[in-house]
Amino acid sequence: MKEIIAVVRMNKTNATKKALIDSGAAGFTALKVMGRGRLVEDKSLIATRKANMMEMALGEDTREAEALIDGFLDGQRLIPRRMFHIIAKDAEVQPIIAAIMGANRTDNKVGDGKIFVLPIADVVRVRTAERGETAL
Amino acid sequence: MYLIKAVVRPEKRDEVLYELTSAGFNAATVVDVVGRGKQKGIKIGNIVYDEIPKVMIIMAVQETDKDDIISVIMRSAKTSEKGAFGDGKIFVSPLEEAYTVSSGAKEL
Repeated sequence: MKEIIAVVRMNKTNATKKALIDSGAAGFTALKVMGRGRLVEDKSLIATRKANMMEMALGEDTREAEALIDGFLDGQRLIPRRMFHIIAKDAEVQPIIAAIMGANRTDNKVGDGKIFVLPIADVVRVRTAERGETAL
Repeated sequence: MYLIKAVVRPEKRDEVLYELTSAGFNAATVVDVVGRGKQKGIKIGNIVYDEIPKVMIIMAVQETDKDDIISVIMRSAKTSEKGAFGDGKIFVSPLEEAYTVSSGAKEL
């Protein structure tokens, strides 16, 4: 058994939930978390979005606005994200990962999230005290 | 790869994250949690507080970076030279696979 931890955009929560049902793993636990990724070193990845945001800031102090927008886009700031914990049988792991990736891919180049896979030693169903894969 | 979960004091959150960025480890997920430790909470007068607010910092790291990150957290989360009860804990578990959604790559 494996634990899949996926960190995704807040507004992709519903798409992720739907994708999980479609891939056959309806059960999950979700948390609101704050997170950040690697620093964006290649500034060309965020150039388009930066230009869009700078346009919206017309009329304001350009240097101040640019510092603020850089802070949002380059990855130093903590950003709200949704964290899904899914426990799955070994054979189900790859389809679930494919479903989560399909639902969360955007054109923004950075910030689509991460998926982690961890080993799980045992599962117990509290109601019946079943152990292992039958408890899933 | 490893998944590091560090439980630290809420007031130390920004300091720990700043030190991690300075050391070159930017990626992290931060959750507000409550918990208690070996001391069974804090007793003030007749009231026992056993749901003490903490912050959990979750990081997926390469094997080579693990010890550096642990020492950075260890250093920046301490409240004094000796440390004190309640400064936190660091848990490390194995991480089998990691995927980046935007590129679809199977890497951190």
